[in-house]
Amino acid sequence: MAQMLVKINVNGVEREVLVDPDDRLLDVLREDFGFKSVKEACGTGDCGLCTVLMDGKPVLSCLIPAFQAKNHKILTLEGLNNDPLMKKIQDQFREHQAAQCGFCTPAMEIMGWHLLNRKKEPSKQEIKEAISGTLCRCTGYYDIVDAIYDAGREQ
Amino acid sequence: MEQPLLNRSEMIILQPSSLKESLKVLNENPDAEIMANASDLWPRIRNGEVRPKKILDISGLTNELSYVKKDGNVIKIGALVTVSQLEGESFVKEKRFSAFVDLISKFGSLQIRNVATVGGNVCAASSSEDFIPLFLALNAKVKLSSVDGERYMSVEKFLAGKRKLNRRPNEILTEISFEDPGPGYGSAFEKVGRRNMLIINLVNLAVVGKIAKGKIEDIRIAANRVKGKIPERAKTTEEFLKGKELNEETLNGAKKVFGEELILTDDMRASATYRKALLITILERLIKKIGGVQ
Ligand SMILES: Cc1cc2nc3c(=O)[nH]c(=O)nc-3n(C[C@H](O)[C@H](O)[C@H](O)COP(=O)(O)OP(=O)(O)OC[C@H]3O[C@@H](n4cnc5c(N)ncnc54)[C@H](O)[C@@H]3O)c2cc1C
Ligand code: FES
Ligand code: FES
Repeated sequence: MAQMLVKINVNGVEREVLVDPDDRLLDVLREDFGFKSVKEACGTGDCGLCTVLMDGKPVLSCLIPAFQAKNHKILTLEGLNNDPLMKKIQDQFREHQAAQCGFCTPAMEIMGWHLLNRKKEPSKQEIKEAISGTLCRCTGYYDIVDAIYDAGREQ
Repeated sequence: MEQPLLNRSEMIILQPSSLKESLKVLNENPDAEIMANASDLWPRIRNGEVRPKKILDISGLTNELSYVKKDGNVIKIGALVTVSQLEGESFVKEKRFSAFVDLISKFGSLQIRNVATVGGNVCAASSSEDFIPLFLALNAKVKLSSVDGERYMSVEKFLAGKRKLNRRPNEILTEISFEDPGPGYGSAFEKVGRRNMLIINLVNLAVVGKIAKGKIEDIRIAANRVKGKIPERAKTTEEFLKGKELNEETLNGAKKVFGEELILTDDMRASATYRKALLITILERLIKKIGGVQ
C-alpha cells in the first residue's frame, strides 16, 4: 500500500508525516522528526525506554503503530526543555548522579515528571512503582528514586 | 533482530470514524484483522507471526466504546476501556470486586496499562491474558456487533481455543458484561510470573464466591490453564466445594480434587509439577481470603 499521511501534534507543533503502514511511532519520532531522546532498546514493550506521553499519559512508542498516533498529542523530553518542573528533575538527576550511561535517563525523567505532575510529594514506594516499567542497567535505581523524590520536595 | 521486510509494508489500513462505519467496512472486508490498541497484535505483526493484508483499526472509537456503566444489576464495560481507566472505576473499589484490584496491580507496567484494552485482552485468547480467568469466574458475556445486529455469548463459549474465537468474520466485540453477584460475594485474583512487567505469566487464578458463616454457598474458579492451553473453569473442584464447610478437611480435599483436575504439560517456562504446586497453593490462599480466614 502507498504511504499514508498522518497528522500528529508533537511537542505542541502540528506536523504531517508520510508513514509506511508498518512504521512505529518510535520510528517517526526519531527518524522523521529527530527527537532522539526517545530510545529503542527492546522494541517489544519490555524496557520502557521508548516512553513518550500521549495525550498526557505514558505509553511505549515502540508498540504504537504510527498510523494510530493520528490526531493525538505526543510529548517527548525535547518538548519539556523549558519546563520548570523538568529543570528541577534534571538538576536533581545531576545532584544525585542518577544518570550513568544516560540511555534510560529521558524515559526516567518523563516518568518522574508525569508522577510529580499528579502528586507533588510522592513516597519512595510510589516513585518505585511509577518507574517500575522502565529499566536501568547502570544505576541500581536508588539514585533515580532519590532524584525524583528530592525534585518533588523542592517544588 | 529486525526481520527482513515482509509484505507488511503493503498492509491496507482501514480507519473508519464510527462504529457503524466500522461494522460496514468489516462486513465488506471480513479478512481484515481487527486492531484495538495494538499491544498484543503489533509485536506479532512486526515479528511476522501474523501477516494481515488488511487492518481494521478501531482504536479511534473511544467515544463509543470506552464506557463503564451499571445497568440494573449488570456491569457493562466497553471493549476499548483500558486497564488504567478501569482502575479508576467506582465498582472496582467495592470489596466484592477486589479481584480487579489484585489483577490491575499486577498487570504490566503503567505504560502498558494505559493502552491495554479489556476487549483486546479477551480477544487475544491466550493463557497470558489476565482478564480471561476473572471474566470466566464472573460468568461474563461478550456482546458481538455486526451489520446484522447484536448478539450475546458467554466468554466461556466465545473462547474456542488458543487464539481462536467463536466470532463471525463480520463481528466486533463491543462490550463485556457481568451480573453484580451482590454484597455477600467476594473475589480474588493472583498470578505468578518472573516479573509483573512481562506478558507471560506462569499461572494465574481467579475465584469468585460466596462464603457465609463458614459455609461455601457458591464458588467459581478459573485459571489460565486447567486442561487445555487457554483459561478455563475448574468445574470439578467447584462442585466438590459447593455446600461444604470451609475448614481444613474441605481445603485438603479441594487441593486433591483440583490437583487431579489439572492436566498440565511441561514447557520451557515451568514444569507441570511446579505449575500444579503453585495453582494448588494459590487456590487455598484465595478461598481463605474470600472466606475471611487466615
Ligand atoms: C510488555 C507487555 C506486557 C503485558 N502484560 C500483560 C499482563 O500483565 N497481563 C495481561 O493480561 N496482558 C498483558 N499484555 C498483553 C496485552 O497488553 C493485553 O492482552 C491487552 O489487553 C490487549 O489489548 P489491546 O487493545 O492492545 O489489543 P490488540 O493488540 O489491539 O488486540 C489483541 C487481539 O484481539 C483482537 N481484538 C482486539 N479488540 C477486538 C475487538 N473489539 N473485537 C474483536 N477482536 C478484537 C485483535 O485482532 C488481536 O488479535 C502485555 C503486553 C505487553 C507488550
Ligand atoms: S523499546 Fe519500547 S519498550 Fe523497549
Ligand atoms: S543510566 Fe545506563 S541504563 Fe540507566
